[in-house]
Amino acid sequence: MIENIPVLIVLLPLCSALLCLALTAVSRNLGIFAVKLSCLASFVLSCIQLQMVVTGGTIHYAIGNYAAPYGIEFVIDSLNAVLLVCFSLMGFLTILFAENFGNEKRPMLVGAACAETALLITGILGMTSTGDVFNLYVFLEITSLSAYCLISLGGSRGVVSAYRYMLVGTVAATLYLLGIGVLYSVTGTLNMGDMREILDQGGYDGAMLTAMCFLIPAFGIKMALFPFHGWQPSAYTHAEPGSRPLITGVMGKVPALAMFRFVYCIYGTDFRFVRIGLILLGIFSVFGMLYGSLMAMGQTDIRKILAYSSVAQMGYISLGFAIGTPIALAGAFLHMLGHVFMKGGLFFCTGAIRYKFGTVDINEFGRIYKKMPLTCGLLTAAALSMIGIPPTAGFFSKWYLALGAAGQHEWIYIIILVISSLLNAVYFFRLIEKVFIRQSSELRTRWESEVLELPLTIIIPVVICFIAIFGLGLFNVRIVDILLMTLEGVGL
Amino acid sequence: MRKTITVILLIISVLVPFMAFDVLPVIGDPQSAPNTHVSDYYIENAIEECNSPNMVTAVIVDYRAFDTMFETTVMFLAGLSVVIILANKPKRRIPAHSSLRRMKDAGGRPIYKTVNKDVMISVIEPVILIYAIYVLFHGEVSLGGGFQAGALIGMTYLLDIMVVKRDRPIFDIPKARAAAIAGFGPLIYALTGIVTILGGGLYLEYNKIPLPIHHAELHSIGITAVEIGVTIGVAGTIITILNALMERISFDDDND
Repeated sequence: MIENIPVLIVLLPLCSALLCLALTAVSRNLGIFAVKLSCLASFVLSCIQLQMVVTGGTIHYAIGNYAAPYGIEFVIDSLNAVLLVCFSLMGFLTILFAENFGNEKRPMLVGAACAETALLITGILGMTSTGDVFNLYVFLEITSLSAYCLISLGGSRGVVSAYRYMLVGTVAATLYLLGIGVLYSVTGTLNMGDMREILDQGGYDGAMLTAMCFLIPAFGIKMALFPFHGWQPSAYTHAEPGSRPLITGVMGKVPALAMFRFVYCIYGTDFRFVRIGLILLGIFSVFGMLYGSLMAMGQTDIRKILAYSSVAQMGYISLGFAIGTPIALAGAFLHMLGHVFMKGGLFFCTGAIRYKFGTVDINEFGRIYKKMPLTCGLLTAAALSMIGIPPTAGFFSKWYLALGAAGQHEWIYIIILVISSLLNAVYFFRLIEKVFIRQSSELRTRWESEVLELPLTIIIPVVICFIAIFGLGLFNVRIVDILLMTLEGVGL
Repeated sequence: MRKTITVILLIISVLVPFMAFDVLPVIGDPQSAPNTHVSDYYIENAIEECNSPNMVTAVIVDYRAFDTMFETTVMFLAGLSVVIILANKPKRRIPAHSSLRRMKDAGGRPIYKTVNKDVMISVIEPVILIYAIYVLFHGEVSLGGGFQAGALIGMTYLLDIMVVKRDRPIFDIPKARAAAIAGFGPLIYALTGIVTILGGGLYLEYNKIPLPIHHAELHSIGITAVEIGVTIGVAGTIITILNALMERISFDDDND
């Protein structure tokens, strides 16, 4: 039984999502309860799996017991294992959070939205675990479809932005299929490890370059990297409020992981044109970091600020890939982990503020900290982490990125990193100023309780995100050690 | 200016593949990599390992069964999404064109939604259903399988609501219930894998289904169970989408 953990982590949310509608028809809260339970179980199992990977090394799980190139394989190395823990935790928190945003009068709709969120979690966890390029596509499809639907549930603007995302996302999926089609035509295999072995024999440079031209835009669109980010701000802004932390926090990270898998695990650094790809990625990241921060400064809707800031943050992650040394890659992945809780946490905060006061305009946030101390604590912690102030997660990930860049003598990257952090500071301090200093404004409370500032299902995610931001910062050495177990072998 | 750039980019992206795709092997080349590496293994071992005379079925629902499971889930997901986007706010139905409603046949009865009711329900629908079952259980040995069988069952429902008046259909499946049924299809598929885990094997390892019969037979049972799941999933999805499309859409709110 214990050896089936990798597949059970993906299956539990899937089964609960498939059952959710039927259970909701039986009793209105049963479906949501099943989804919550399965996501919690998935999180617990991924913690056990992380323990197994750290002590016992990489896990290869052959589905159907067919050996690697013939069947589908899950490969869990230390990198995947850490990311799975983080993503499944965020999935569980989002499901908890989402139940406050349903339409009370229409339980079936709430159940259906819950099923969609669970399927989004399934897709994300599957994309993280898989070791097969076509299986990755199938999970990418599930992730994208459920995300289109969840974005379109956010009112009529949500429908428009979901439609735009769907058009662009379909192009990305097609490009990905073309890319793996080219690779399959020269290697004859779909397994990542096997493909690496065949490509290492040499003589495939032309095909690999063609495939890379398809794959980088494909993942670029899906992770909203700078020139391909057009769909992202409106989609993040108008997504269904309950599932927004998951969409903004996790959905963009998984394609970034897939891009890392292709560039470093399948192509490898021996590939003749790898430099071109990395420089291209570096250019995209540098412009993305500046553009995202500048655009975020001009917004007043807090959701738009955070959405544009995500463009910049994805730039940090791809900057780590562009530098390519193990330390820089570790920085990129630490930033990925941190950003899940920072951006997810910030959207938990906006959701909580909107739940209580019904506003998203930062000009109305005057001295809101008196009314919502916990939420504003997380808001401040996440904002400080975004800027990169110790001892938060954001400081250490930027530190590792700068270390890696210095090791490669890429001084321009360090300068841009500092400028972008300063720009972050401008708009996040503006937010903090509104929350703490500005004259208090009249806000009408929509939720009354004697004891708590918010329902318990919102407080739990808020507190856990707060702990995670500082935890990732304080225990960064341990986490980077675990990440380096995998990254040592693949970097430049 | 914007348009010019777009057109130039489009032309480049159409022309570049002509040069780039030189790396692809010649169509039908027996020595090309896809025809020599993994395919050889499937051709040599599929019949023996999977007990399925149809190699395509063996690859789809045995070697790469995990992909097919999620493809079925994609069907369910599509149906569910259509329902909750389109039928989110059922307000108005699209009325049939009035001239169509006024048309009468020779005996003076209205012909709208009454065409060939007797023939359809008593002759054609049972034949389609029987054919669907045949396609389902035959998929394992020859062409056919779950997707086609599910489409046929969905078509029966379509015919039914086309020929009988909407307020008095024979099988009335409300849209939420249809989506729930569609969910059971992939669930059967997933549970087949859980059964093999309980039997002590890995996920979807049909050999380990805990039944006291020969392992070749176990593969047949596993494949059939999976195909039944696919059928239910596809039929449920088609009915769901059909139900959703018959409701009117309106997006005149923005509650965010």
